[in-house]
Amino acid sequence: MTARQRADRLAGLAFVGPAAVTLAALALYPGLWVLWLSLQQRIPIFGVARFVGLDHYGFLATDPRFWNAARVTLVFTGVSVALELVLGLAVALALQRQRAGRRLALSLLLLAWALPSVVTAKLFEWLYHPSAGLVNLLLGRPLNWLGDPSLALLGLILADVWRTMPFVALLCYARLLTIPPEVYEAARVDGAGRLATLASVTLPLLRSILLVALLFRTLDALRAFDLMYVLTGGGPANTTETLTVYAYRSLFQTLQLGFGSAIGVAIFALVMAVAAGYLRALRREGPAA
Amino acid sequence: MWWAALVLAAAVAVGGCAERRDGAGPVTLVFKHAKILGPSDPIPGLLREFERRHPGVTVRSEPLTWTSDEQHQFYVINLEGASPTFDVLMIDVIWVPEFAQAGWLLDLSPWVARQELAPHFPAAAAAAVWRGRVWGLPWNMNVGVLYYRADLLAKYGLAPPRTWEALVAQTERIRAGERDPRLDGVLWQGKQYEGLVVNALEHFWANGSALLDENDRVFPEPDHAAAALAFMRRLIDSGASPGWVTAGDEELTRRPFGAGHAIFLRSWPYAMDLFQAPDSPVRGRVGIAPLPAHRQGAAGVGATGGFHLGVNRRTRHQEAAVALVRFLASEHGQRALTAAGVALYPTRVALYRDPEAVRAHPDMPRFHDLALAARPRPVTPYYLMLSTTVQPEFSAVLVGVKTPHQALDHARRRLEYMLGGLR
Repeated sequence: MTARQRADRLAGLAFVGPAAVTLAALALYPGLWVLWLSLQQRIPIFGVARFVGLDHYGFLATDPRFWNAARVTLVFTGVSVALELVLGLAVALALQRQRAGRRLALSLLLLAWALPSVVTAKLFEWLYHPSAGLVNLLLGRPLNWLGDPSLALLGLILADVWRTMPFVALLCYARLLTIPPEVYEAARVDGAGRLATLASVTLPLLRSILLVALLFRTLDALRAFDLMYVLTGGGPANTTETLTVYAYRSLFQTLQLGFGSAIGVAIFALVMAVAAGYLRALRREGPAA
Repeated sequence: MWWAALVLAAAVAVGGCAERRDGAGPVTLVFKHAKILGPSDPIPGLLREFERRHPGVTVRSEPLTWTSDEQHQFYVINLEGASPTFDVLMIDVIWVPEFAQAGWLLDLSPWVARQELAPHFPAAAAAAVWRGRVWGLPWNMNVGVLYYRADLLAKYGLAPPRTWEALVAQTERIRAGERDPRLDGVLWQGKQYEGLVVNALEHFWANGSALLDENDRVFPEPDHAAAALAFMRRLIDSGASPGWVTAGDEELTRRPFGAGHAIFLRSWPYAMDLFQAPDSPVRGRVGIAPLPAHRQGAAGVGATGGFHLGVNRRTRHQEAAVALVRFLASEHGQRALTAAGVALYPTRVALYRDPEAVRAHPDMPRFHDLALAARPRPVTPYYLMLSTTVQPEFSAVLVGVKTPHQALDHARRRLEYMLGGLR
């Protein structure tokens, strides 16, 4: 190695250094600490602090509340993300064709996206109100949205879709704006109808941005917390308790730091597995993105 | 902006250092408390008066958000971090034993003799004591009561019900006579949260059962507890309560009753001030009664809530902090809670017969009788663990997912694992 090469390498390290240190301090260290905590029984109030190995994971493996929370998390994520993508895409396509009032439509979309989720939750609490709520007024039926075990999760999913569909719509709309009109002209010359254009031109071009939206939304939905915390508190009968709510109850409400950390590690593993799957898919897309 | 925050933080830090040096010089106390709801906040006036009585002491009040969970989280993080950034704190009654057990509260026993708790309602005083020591002074309280539509009951010649069965019968009779499809029977809090545990406890007590007995056994009378839960489910099944009470909290149930759409409501005293407001549709038409009984228990035992005042064990100003707590909890200090427009109810029995207080809140003598008979929720350091474990189980009974016996069984098994981890 020449002196020049060595100097270059040193400079490179110096540039990477701050980022590496920051990441280590902000992500790696707390992550490892949570992992370490999850191997202990730690309840500060009672002065309990002892190593218990994999006990918490053993309990979770047969804990119906944990598996119920995992199921709720996956159903919530799957259904709400699927609806958000389909509706978001439809809204983006509609926006593209819209002539008048596009700016207004965009601002309204942004408003729903920009509201803090606690505010959204309070809003939906009144929309879903059994006797005075707008939803039941429109349906003409007194549905018990948040207190019926077969409806509560659906109610949360719809609220989440309302809140985050604009994110997908705006991403898709932005991508649509960058498609040169010549492409559509060529399609028209080739005699493609509206549906054919959508299927063979627009959708393939939107593919990579949809994947990005899917990645973001899935990771967000897996970690969703505020909506269920405010609207239902996980109820009724834990039918809307996600893993994050379960972790919060264990960690912050009842201060079982070890047990709660074990749930946190499980959430982390789930999110990482999903993210890794998506990243592989995205990489295959490669330069097309 | 960020540099402004930094400068501010530095200033606070320097201020903190300056404070540390003082031995007998000027003292600044920090008082952390929940945001006071309602039209009028009595705290600033009380603190200024305390400062006048104690020259050299200034008190800064720092309100927290009004959500109980967030207050709990704030206290836990700061007290576990041994942070001396506040001296006096206002805590929910259900946290007193927990914070005491954790070693976060100053033991007030050297200053406060047990007799000093005697003028407070027994339920409030009981919640201040843990392992024979005094950890907080009661400041304001809540008690579960039954509101009823006095005009409707009078119209059908009925007296407030003594038993839950009678309540259901009255509901059926009035609704049959009124023929108003919007008129509901009895409203209560059935959402999966702390309020559900309070409601279930009251049904347990009304049926001779409990959540926890003196020997820390959970569900000492399981059959009575199961019968009480089954009754709550039956209220919904039979239509005496609307199905949506399974998602109802205090405000969600208070509003329909306040709009005249229900005959009975189980709630707290604060609701009365709102029912008697000048623009209230039910003004002058609401009565207060003790909660009804079940077959095996006693009537009128409501659960209590409210806030106590404690001292941070890490405070650098023990004497001044204890003086502030005693001042606020004194009869003089609590009288400020009875002023017109304050939506807090004192814990001192005598104030409920005070002519001026009664003029501002005409229902105080009525609340007095109910508060006297009331009971605290289990006074134990693991109350939150207990409560959050039974919440989903009770909720499962209300929505018909589990039978009462299944729910009690699941709750017991879970609690045994959790409580086993404490030893």
